[in-house]
Amino acid sequence: MLINILETAFDLIITLNDDLFEIINLSLKVTLSALIIAVSISIPFGAFLALYKNKYQSLIVLISNTLMGMPPVVLGLLIYTLVSKKGIFGFLDILYTPTAMILAQTLLIIPIVISLTYEEVYKKNKDYNLLLNSLNLNNFSKLKTLIYECRYALVTVALTGFGRASAEVGAVMIVGGNINHYTRVMTTAIAFETSKGSIELAVALGLILILISFIITLLIKSLRKIS
Amino acid sequence: MNILPLKVKNLNYVVNGKNILKNINIECNNNNVTIVAGNNGSGKSTFLKILHGLIKTQNNNKIKWGEFYISDIKREQSMVFQTPILLNRTAYENLLYVAKKKNITEKNYVDKIIDKLNIKNISNVNTKYISGGERQKVAIGMSIIGNPKIIFLDEPTSQLDPAYKNDIENIINELSYNKVKIFMTSHDISQIKRIGSEIIFMDNGEIIYHDSVKKFFEEKQCNLISEYINYG
Ligand SMILES: Nc1ncnc2c1ncn2[C@@H]1O[C@H](COP(=O)(O)OP(=O)(O)OP(=O)(O)O)[C@@H](O)[C@H]1O
Ligand SMILES: [Mg+2]
Repeated sequence: MLINILETAFDLIITLNDDLFEIINLSLKVTLSALIIAVSISIPFGAFLALYKNKYQSLIVLISNTLMGMPPVVLGLLIYTLVSKKGIFGFLDILYTPTAMILAQTLLIIPIVISLTYEEVYKKNKDYNLLLNSLNLNNFSKLKTLIYECRYALVTVALTGFGRASAEVGAVMIVGGNINHYTRVMTTAIAFETSKGSIELAVALGLILILISFIITLLIKSLRKIS
Repeated sequence: MNILPLKVKNLNYVVNGKNILKNINIECNNNNVTIVAGNNGSGKSTFLKILHGLIKTQNNNKIKWGEFYISDIKREQSMVFQTPILLNRTAYENLLYVAKKKNITEKNYVDKIIDKLNIKNISNVNTKYISGGERQKVAIGMSIIGNPKIIFLDEPTSQLDPAYKNDIENIINELSYNKVKIFMTSHDISQIKRIGSEIIFMDNGEIIYHDSVKKFFEEKQCNLISEYINYG
């Protein structure tokens, strides 16, 4: 029984089954878009927080750390209330679209990247601030140097965000709606196909997800080695 | 632009209730090499960092370099730290980084520094792999980029082999000859004799001696200093 399922699942993957391909393609598009948006906001912001001491800094870091642990499904619910017909952003009309899913994953990744970037840059700044001050650098130059010095660690941070977002199911289910050929991604498809009893496609997708997670782990490991 | 005399008036530095520098008063008019000596923990590194504006004290206005406050001439200063701080790049890239930050556009400038410091062999190695002495060499190279007027050297030769120590001392003499004001800490008595012109001796956050190196070794000194000299 299990062997048969696995066999069919491998078959689906190897023959690049259309449905499977479409779902993987959308998943990667959504998560990569979210990652790019989140990273380009959060890395500079996290680094900024690490460099500029003021009374709001520790509060923002605390909030970010808290949001990092927020259940994605709650985030999905929140976005749902905002973008549904009656919500204040209802006029955008993005509920049940890939845009809403990108939004959800972006918001999911942002606190992760802010908090982890903050930690990395804070540590590096401790090592380097005497040198950077001695060179009389302005704050913008310091920020650029520190981000560059943390480059390997920050790629790891981004990969962590990617892993978290691609594995998440609750938020994209609520705001995307798991519409076939439109908003169905790997995780929502697994949940749906399983409940429908067509377990082979679910297993195939599950294998792909595990593969992605494996690749991310490998990348992070080799980055740790060179940094 | 005259950065001397250096005048420090009633400078105190307190961290967590601990008085690290106590009522420092000096006037320094010597334009050769000033040695800052004293036992471990006496406050030498802290003092240099304060003179360089890296540590803000309760009142930094108590320090004047000629007519200038530290903030006016910080860009004319550089420092080699007791534990050299290098970026996670090759030695060449570290030097290039400093040159860029000092807006130096001259081609081959970094190559000249590498030649001067005789570090061609490690120039393309990431500094995380190089030895302690080699790190000091790179840091010294970084400190002379852009012809600063004041250089702070915090035990810059503590890890160098004798021949290389001699090379660095020659570089220091050359800098000093070219009117660069050098402040240098050292525990090496013979080195102090070789290149020092005046000496500031610190004990427990206070300056207990400040005069020419010549006098320092000729005069009868208190027990603490004569012990320091005898063991050195
Ligand atoms: N940020 C700090 N917090 C607490 N104590 C400090 C701090 N900075 C320096 N000290 C203390 O101040 C004293 C002077 O330190 P400093 O590094 O200036 O000594 P030093 O004369 O350079 O010693 P060494 O010869 O070992 O390099 C030491 O006792 C040190 O522990
Ligand atoms: Mg010291």
